[in-house]
Amino acid sequence: MILVWLIAIPLVAGVIAGFVARRSQLASRLISLLAMVVGFVISVWLWAANYSHISLLTQRQWLAEFNVPWISSFGIRFHLAMDGMSLLLVTLTFLLGIASVMISWREIHDGVGFFHFNLLWVIAGIVAVFLAMDLFLFYFSWELMLIPMYFLIAIWGHERRVYAAVKFFLFTQLSGLLMLVAILTLYFAHHAATGVYTFEYSQLIGTPLAPHTAMLVMLGFFAAFAVKLPMFPFHTWLPDAHTEAPTAGSVVLAGLLLKTGAYGLLRFVLPLFPRAAHEFAPIAIALAIAGILYGALLAYGQTDLKRLVAYTSVSHLGFVLLGIFIGTPLAIAGAFITIIAHGISTGTMFMLVGMVQERTHTREMDRLGGLWQTAPRLSGSGVFFVLASIGLPGLGDFVGEFLVLLGTYRVSPMVAAFATVGVLCSTFYGLKFVARAFHGPNTNKWKLPDLSGREIALVGAMMVVLLWLGLYPQPVLNTFKPTAQRLEQVVHGPGMGYRR
Amino acid sequence: MSSADFVALLPLIVLGATAIVVMMSIAFRRSHALASTLTLVGLAVAFWSLWPAAGEVPRQVTPLLVIDRFALYYFGLIIAATFAVVLMSYGYLERHDVRREEFYVLLLVAALGSAVLVSSDHFISFFLGLEILSVTLYALSAYLTERGIALEAGMKYLVLAAASAAFLLFGMALVYAETGTMSFPQLASDFAAGGAAHLWVLAGIAFMVTGFGFKLAVVPFHLWTPDVYQGAPAPVTAFVASVSKGAMFAILLRFFYQSGSRDLHATLLIFGIIAIASMIAGNLMALFQNNVKRILAYSSIAHLGYLLVAFEAGGLFGAAAGTFYLTAYMITTLGAFGVIAVLSASGRDAEDIEDYRGLFWRRPGLATVFTVMLFSLAGIPLTAGFLGKFYTVAAGTNSSIWVLIFVLVATSVIGLFYYLRVVVALFATEHIPSDAERPLPVVPAMGGVTLGVLALALIWLGVYPHVILHAIQSAMSGIF
Amino acid sequence: MNLWPFVLYAALVLITAGSMIGLSAILGERHKERFTNQPYEGGILSEGTARARFSIKFYMMAMFFVVFDLESVFLYSWAVAARDLGWVGYWEALIFIGVLVAALVYLWRLGALDWSPDTRRKTR
Repeated sequence: MILVWLIAIPLVAGVIAGFVARRSQLASRLISLLAMVVGFVISVWLWAANYSHISLLTQRQWLAEFNVPWISSFGIRFHLAMDGMSLLLVTLTFLLGIASVMISWREIHDGVGFFHFNLLWVIAGIVAVFLAMDLFLFYFSWELMLIPMYFLIAIWGHERRVYAAVKFFLFTQLSGLLMLVAILTLYFAHHAATGVYTFEYSQLIGTPLAPHTAMLVMLGFFAAFAVKLPMFPFHTWLPDAHTEAPTAGSVVLAGLLLKTGAYGLLRFVLPLFPRAAHEFAPIAIALAIAGILYGALLAYGQTDLKRLVAYTSVSHLGFVLLGIFIGTPLAIAGAFITIIAHGISTGTMFMLVGMVQERTHTREMDRLGGLWQTAPRLSGSGVFFVLASIGLPGLGDFVGEFLVLLGTYRVSPMVAAFATVGVLCSTFYGLKFVARAFHGPNTNKWKLPDLSGREIALVGAMMVVLLWLGLYPQPVLNTFKPTAQRLEQVVHGPGMGYRR
Repeated sequence: MSSADFVALLPLIVLGATAIVVMMSIAFRRSHALASTLTLVGLAVAFWSLWPAAGEVPRQVTPLLVIDRFALYYFGLIIAATFAVVLMSYGYLERHDVRREEFYVLLLVAALGSAVLVSSDHFISFFLGLEILSVTLYALSAYLTERGIALEAGMKYLVLAAASAAFLLFGMALVYAETGTMSFPQLASDFAAGGAAHLWVLAGIAFMVTGFGFKLAVVPFHLWTPDVYQGAPAPVTAFVASVSKGAMFAILLRFFYQSGSRDLHATLLIFGIIAIASMIAGNLMALFQNNVKRILAYSSIAHLGYLLVAFEAGGLFGAAAGTFYLTAYMITTLGAFGVIAVLSASGRDAEDIEDYRGLFWRRPGLATVFTVMLFSLAGIPLTAGFLGKFYTVAAGTNSSIWVLIFVLVATSVIGLFYYLRVVVALFATEHIPSDAERPLPVVPAMGGVTLGVLALALIWLGVYPHVILHAIQSAMSGIF
Repeated sequence: MNLWPFVLYAALVLITAGSMIGLSAILGERHKERFTNQPYEGGILSEGTARARFSIKFYMMAMFFVVFDLESVFLYSWAVAARDLGWVGYWEALIFIGVLVAALVYLWRLGALDWSPDTRRKTR
């Protein structure tokens, strides 16, 4: 039941926040914040209460579960379940949810009620994606989170918001429909094999499929997740959407929405189609490497701060894809840490760029420069998160990428070498960012207010989480362990002969 | 005829009687409120009479009509949709200086024609129902005679529908000439014995497909759709798009399933081609429109294409998927044209996309309803349109008609593009016209409530479709 | 399949129609004089326009006649089988006539049957 609450709280709070905004904008913001905090507290409490035995969970055991029939004519059930992986991602969702509400406090003035309605419904949709164990429910939530996101970009975005929003929507819809066809094929194949109509995740695992069909169905799922991730060459919606979205929108997009793609790969593609995924791995790995290098290269070429950060996402998510398809326990764990750390570091980067834009009304590097002299705390935080993003040891991103590289090296040193070049490239764009925006002479004579108390609290909290993730990632790894083990079993199950 | 026959026919009888009662009331006291109230009461009684009728099904009443669960389900849809059209017409007609009362008589007769259509299992009653429906629709589309465009719509509809009826009739004649029967079940036994392979039967079915195609407005028989949609008054367009097409789809299912001619290779091939052409052409042409009514017209062509995918999928699954899709589509089009109807001032209908710019910030309720309708057309979750699309794709996947499924997927993404154009206009934050520039009419209470109910019904179906799915699945027993 | 009667028939139709048009074009008289294209070749000049305007009422009457006349044709077919259909058929015929009467009453009240313009009822 607690899982239903995690979804219902943002949904209901969103409706309330939408309606009270006519009376009081402050009330709308406070209700949204409260809902996010409550969700965060519940998920942290779940983690704390279960931490001692979380790593002992075996297959088919969930931390919490909710399972009732929904549309019984199709065998669709409203089945939510939580394991270590979804627990961590839900916690991250609510953490970034709190951040998005707070960062919008000053930025959003028009249509406050509708804005918070959309924000909270996106969060609810994402939580539902992380918890859904019925493939229909999963697809339902997957599509549902798009609409509020579309509105966030299309209404409160920047100059080319409509173009970006429509592009985002079309890309994700097309890939989503392919996934729907794949889900249905699996559903009917399962019926043909067992005589049971079900969308239940645990039952669909192990559905016998002809190798050819399995590959096509796997590609259907992969298309949806690859676009969301985004994988090169399906990333072109991302820079536009990230750049044009309001700050809260960018935070949710980069921090959470992209992660649903990675989550989908881990939760569905590998367990449902181990063999097809294995056969497809070389292509996926090649594309991951291409994404890492290409993202880094393009990030270096940008002069718009938000666009730069957007392209770094392409690069970082390339590591996630790499880790997942390398498939060794180390690499998968690394990919997962990268998911969490990237959510926090890039989310905060977008917040910082948003703060710069709020103060200077520009995101162009050429018009900035020398901000350190007038706003040292803002610039200092900026440098901190840039360093995190380029993989400074001691911070979360480093752990993730290091584990991915380590895992990759044991499978293919060649691939690892290419990926390492990507890490190297990240130094260039990171340093360019720092040098052009924060350092140098203050040629434009900016006189900016430094971070306010609210902003310090927000950025500071993110710094602490990132440091903790970088210095002591063991709790996260322990929580993820049962999921990783399960993945390892299916990927390296009998007869797979994965390791080359 | 026994009394049980009368009970089974009760919905039809009540519809016909109501039309006469309303006509008599006009003869002696011309009052818009009276006529519309009588119509609503009659429709409510007709809807109620479905329950006593359900106790008598399935029942063959005369060789012409069959009242089974399939017919009753579609009766319910037709009556409920007509009810909604009446509710939204009241406010719309109040703004127009015409004789308002006859509108309801025509609407009732059209509903009666649709009901005859869905319960017919004989060529005679099929043609009779079709003509009752068509003749009233000619008058209804040209109802606002002061508008030139309305006359054009009525005229176009008259000429093309008459031509299509001729094709249909010729097709029926050819089939009859070869088989010697006009009743669907007897055709089935004749076809099963190999009669379907005869050239005349094939030619007859081909002619009938032409007739069906015109009425359903699928490519290449779609040319009248945008003009009629644009020219007819918004409530009439709502009726044409929902009830008339819905009844036609029902008889399509009944004829081709019951007579067994659905399984002919030629039928499947020709409907497959029509479906693909409709999905592609409808969606592509809608991209270039700036008139909301025309966008919806082209989108309806595409949606009929999706419906034919369900038809192609076949079996109980396909028929049920098509019926569910149609139910969702009827609610959606009623809602969409309802929004246009309540926003239309006396001079012209609110059909320019600019009329909707920034509507969310001026009339949030109406804009929300319209958005829900557009999302349902686009097949986005929480709405019935999503489940309809899901069901259709499921039926197609089950039958492995991959080409049709992939055309459906690809074209519905194109479809998103123009639905989003309207949504973008609804939520635009810049250049919002002030009340002085583009005054918005006061939303009539009845129309507003109807729209709210339609939107809620759409979401209810989209989230908890269990009841309707159950009804549909049992209704399909009628044609199997 | 035994198609040849159909083919023969179609060919005959085409030949007949074709020869009628073709032969008259070849053999037919043709003249082109001053008054060939006038309405009256006798030389009387036509006057005024051919588009004379009649009162709508003529059309209305004609339409009513056709409608009611055609409807009453159904009664003949009932009359033939009246004994077999019995009382149920009788009542059905009565209902049918009743509907026609209702339509007539409606037209009468609407003023559609009034001939002269001033006695016509004003509706709104």
